[in-house]
Amino acid sequence: MVEITVDGKKITVPHGINLIEAARLAGGFIPHYCYHSKLSVAGNCRMCLVEIEKVPKLQVACNTTVRDGMVFYTNNDRVKRAREQVLEFILVNHPLDCPVCDQAGECKLQEFYMQYDLRESRFRESKSHKPKVVDLGPRVVLDMERCILCTRCVRFCREIAKSDELCVSERGSRNKLTTYPGKALENAYSTNVVDICPVGALTSKDFRFKRRVWFLKKEKSICPGCARGCNIEIHHHDNKIFRLVPRTNEEVNQCWMCDEGRDTYKPVLAQNRLRSPMGFEAGQRTQFSSTEIMPRIQNALSGIAGIDGKSIVGIGSAQATNEDNYALKKFLEITFKSKNLLYHKNESDHPTHDNFLICADKNPNTNGIEALDFVKINTNKKFQAFFILGNLPEEAIKKIALEKKRVVIMLATHDDEDSKWPDFVIPTTTFAESTGTFMNIQRRVQKISPALISPGESRSAWEFFSDLSTYFGKENPIYHSAEAVFQDIVEEHLCYQGLTYKSLGETGKVCP
Amino acid sequence: MILKFSKNSKTKIDEILERYPNKQAATLPVLFIAQREFGHLSREAMEAVAKILETSYAHVYGVATFYTLYNKKPVGKYHVQICGNLSCSIMGGENIQEYLKKKLKLNFGETTQDGKFTLSSVECLASCGTGPAMQINEAYYEKLTPEKVDEILNSLK
Amino acid sequence: METILTPNFNLPDSHTLPVYEKTGGYKTLHKLLKMRPDEVIEEVKKSGLRGRGGAGFGTGLKWSFVPKDPPGPRYLCVNADEGEPGTFKDRALLEKDPHRLIEGSVMCAYAIGAAVGYIYIRGEFDLPYRRIEAALQEAYQKGYLGKNILGSPFSFDLYTHQGAGAYICGEETALLNSIEGKRGEPRIKPPFPAISGLFGAPTVINNVETLSALPYIIEKGAEAYASIGTPKSTGTKLFSVSGPVKKPGVYEVPLGYPLRKFLDEYAGGLMEGKILKAVIPGGSSVPVLTAQEVEEVNLDYESLQEHGSMLGSGGMIVIPDDFCMVHALEILAHFYSHESCGQCSPCREGTAWIYKILKRLEKGQGTPEDLDLLIDISNGMAGQTICVLSDALAMPVKSFLAKFKNEFEEHISLGYCPHRASFRTSGAPTYLSSDQLLWSPRFQSL
Ligand SMILES: Cc1cc2nc3c(=O)[nH]c(=O)nc-3n(C[C@H](O)[C@H](O)[C@H](O)COP(=O)(O)O)c2cc1C
Ligand code: SF4
Ligand code: SF4
Ligand code: SF4
Ligand code: FES
Ligand code: FES
Repeated sequence: MVEITVDGKKITVPHGINLIEAARLAGGFIPHYCYHSKLSVAGNCRMCLVEIEKVPKLQVACNTTVRDGMVFYTNNDRVKRAREQVLEFILVNHPLDCPVCDQAGECKLQEFYMQYDLRESRFRESKSHKPKVVDLGPRVVLDMERCILCTRCVRFCREIAKSDELCVSERGSRNKLTTYPGKALENAYSTNVVDICPVGALTSKDFRFKRRVWFLKKEKSICPGCARGCNIEIHHHDNKIFRLVPRTNEEVNQCWMCDEGRDTYKPVLAQNRLRSPMGFEAGQRTQFSSTEIMPRIQNALSGIAGIDGKSIVGIGSAQATNEDNYALKKFLEITFKSKNLLYHKNESDHPTHDNFLICADKNPNTNGIEALDFVKINTNKKFQAFFILGNLPEEAIKKIALEKKRVVIMLATHDDEDSKWPDFVIPTTTFAESTGTFMNIQRRVQKISPALISPGESRSAWEFFSDLSTYFGKENPIYHSAEAVFQDIVEEHLCYQGLTYKSLGETGKVCP
Repeated sequence: MILKFSKNSKTKIDEILERYPNKQAATLPVLFIAQREFGHLSREAMEAVAKILETSYAHVYGVATFYTLYNKKPVGKYHVQICGNLSCSIMGGENIQEYLKKKLKLNFGETTQDGKFTLSSVECLASCGTGPAMQINEAYYEKLTPEKVDEILNSLK
Repeated sequence: METILTPNFNLPDSHTLPVYEKTGGYKTLHKLLKMRPDEVIEEVKKSGLRGRGGAGFGTGLKWSFVPKDPPGPRYLCVNADEGEPGTFKDRALLEKDPHRLIEGSVMCAYAIGAAVGYIYIRGEFDLPYRRIEAALQEAYQKGYLGKNILGSPFSFDLYTHQGAGAYICGEETALLNSIEGKRGEPRIKPPFPAISGLFGAPTVINNVETLSALPYIIEKGAEAYASIGTPKSTGTKLFSVSGPVKKPGVYEVPLGYPLRKFLDEYAGGLMEGKILKAVIPGGSSVPVLTAQEVEEVNLDYESLQEHGSMLGSGGMIVIPDDFCMVHALEILAHFYSHESCGQCSPCREGTAWIYKILKRLEKGQGTPEDLDLLIDISNGMAGQTICVLSDALAMPVKSFLAKFKNEFEEHISLGYCPHRASFRTSGAPTYLSSDQLLWSPRFQSL
């Protein structure tokens, strides 16, 4: 630790950090464009100039390491003057685009200009013109005039994605950000460059012009795309999701996420979301209300001769939360004394994966469901009654069903081929409408929280099972919150020892 | 089209690689070799450089466009590069610039129809003491006068 | 006067090994190899030799920053990228006496413990390149380079690396990037090259002229060198003088020499009919001197600094009174804007902005506010960027405006350039030949 003085305030900070981070710890903020804590230091924007005592020239905070006894100023007149000058330079060739710019509202140029400069431009020469809509790749569009050449995106591709698709071409004021002519920016993490671009130069094709950012509400959650469990924010408005962006979790995804993960919100908004329970009436698939369907499920189950714990099975899902899976487990255990717990997961023959974030396991909760003692679906045993979490093709069940009359109750999110066949289908929530936890590939338990109100009568599985258990009159716990479910999980499963829902915080906790 | 280096160039490249601890360091000399072999640095030529040096296309492109001696477009048989900097200007260099433009009927950056001459204005050639100066391909020509320019251009076949 | 850098310039075939050896060349290597590296550094420190590339940093001191026993390699880079307008002295050394540079490079490499060195030579240079390549071959053949130099345990390989047309690669860290095969963008410091330079290893970058002074210093000793010049500006320096003087060229002058005397005695005074208006004494980036100041300054680091200018690279540009100062500055602004690498916002935008304003001013389309704006832009650039290229334009802008403001105002009030008609129609100059003319590149047909 070293002691420094920032704007007159004495503070002790860790050895080796730079002045931007040090000022942050002191509760201040040094404006910057090119610096990014996960990328090499470029020092090119010159926005972060500060005055250090006994150093004649102003120094860039991003490339200056704290020294014991260092005294520096982030806001004195000299620094302010320099900052105004730098901003003026950056704005010289920047188009006056804010009203039509997608970045407006989260643009560092706009923000710092308002905060630190606010002068009329003295630039009377003709601005240099550069291409405005450059298709960089399948997901990203570049406006070269807005680019301030901070090279964050270039460094991201070189240092993080390791794909090196972007470069600055030419030199001086002719500098241009570009891909190799005819080549696309198409690494598996490409949209991150949109997030780190401090201005509106890089925009996401998926998000462009869809909604002004100041309308967006933000919910902290976890990407359900794979076992990594990248921490994300769901940006939504009007009960619609507009984008998923990464949220910092040093232990999991730092501040990145993959492009595939960004698309995981799309099924949430699909037209064919299941809105009400479905059953069969006189051989016809029919819509029911939640209150109508409950006694029918009860009847169907008690109508099977000789049904007992052995012939009933719960099929959990590695896509569903721990809470949903646990509620299923608990329901079967108390109501039917059944310990038959299988689970299914999304699988493909050639899953994408790398040694950065993307995992071959495309399920957010495989570790979680295994910790709850579910085992991967297998044909060792056959059953007569099925409770299934998540859409599942009938074939998967045929293999493990006794050839007698069978009953299948499925909690499904979408009305599709895989939810047309069960006797009862209950609409349930996707990750974006759920509260609960996932356990990721590192056995980190992380919380998700709902951004949207789920469609129609859909609800969480744990709510459904709490409700259904009242029809069976056994001593099932009635849950009113995911937190309460989690509490029971902790009590029953050794690996969760010492955790509480609150203690998971925003970035989760690792289970031993 | 995929361009391949000749055997001769490949030998030269191998020689050059010996001098550096990694392949990327040879980007500048290998771009020169490519320019000499393929005439100018077309996309295909830059790709050949990236491949042989096992580096990214974007890297090669960023480098090739940074330096003015790499021709991204074809240039004439004779690349006439006249200094436009201060010492030469003080010695009447701008007259020579105008004279060349008129004589070759070219603006800076243009090439004659027959592909013989490309005319460029360049920065100081470190011939300031003998300005006005110009460079045609590799050779320097100094203390230029219109008469001398005539003489020089006529001697180029 | 005893010459240190140029004794062989007027000998026929001065660039060849036999001529260099005949004049005592490479003999001092025997002496060098008997010294300890730290003794060599000490000797160079004592000589007072300062970098001749422009910054004037103490050479021995710079070497002493290199760690003594780092785990990996150490490198020497020879800066032969000479590109500062008005400067053509390294070119003369490369063409006329390449072996002196090679011998000096071996000395530096020995002192800092480098086993590999690169001569970064500007891409436009053809004859100098061929000369240095030929000289390297000769030196290898005679065992002055390569494995176990002169039978000693010391080995040193020296290669050339050609630039490709970018003035900025003369900046030492841009030069390193360029050798690494990258864009010639200066690096942010720290780390400094002496600690982490070429390929991340400790590196010394020295100018051609700096290194060429070493054979003399090691042979004759630090005192002999330090006895030349002034106490703080020791030794001799090459000045390349251009503009309408009778004998433009490269001259070796003991530091401290009066500028006026230099112009009259060495450069032969101004051409007939030309009147001195200004001199840029140290390459285009240093502040300009008025004719009055020319009378007062001496050619050394301190005197020039006292008069608000710098010794720089020793590229002296003489400006006659019929040449427009607005236009002169416009040319320089074009140069620095064209050569800015473009990383730093103030330099990328500022140099181009200044050029645009000056272009307009020169055409007579300026306003008085433009003059204040030029100063303001320059203040915003100077000292606030990764390298000092932005200062290299800011300094001339500020000095031109401080010393020749009347010409700028004239353009504004007249609405046109008063010099344009009179100057630009005058024909190209005729040069006087002179035996005192030390070196002047001829119409090359080698
Ligand atoms: C923009 C710029 C251009 C430069 N060009 C050259 C050059 O062409 N040759 C040179 O020797 N030094 C040049 N320098 C100075 C070098 O950065 C460096 O100081 C020098 O090579 C060190 O060698 P020295 O100590 O022997 O002078 C330049 C510096 C800057 C900022
Ligand atoms: S596109 Fe954005 S991130 Fe990339 S260099 Fe330009 S401003 Fe920086
Ligand atoms: S790596 Fe996995 S968890 Fe992270 S964003 Fe991609 S799909 Fe989602
Ligand atoms: S000051 Fe100019 S030349 Fe130097 S690094 Fe910055 S932009 Fe490049
Ligand atoms: S943040 Fe420090 S220079 Fe850009
Ligand atoms: S100014 Fe023309 S060669 Fe230097």
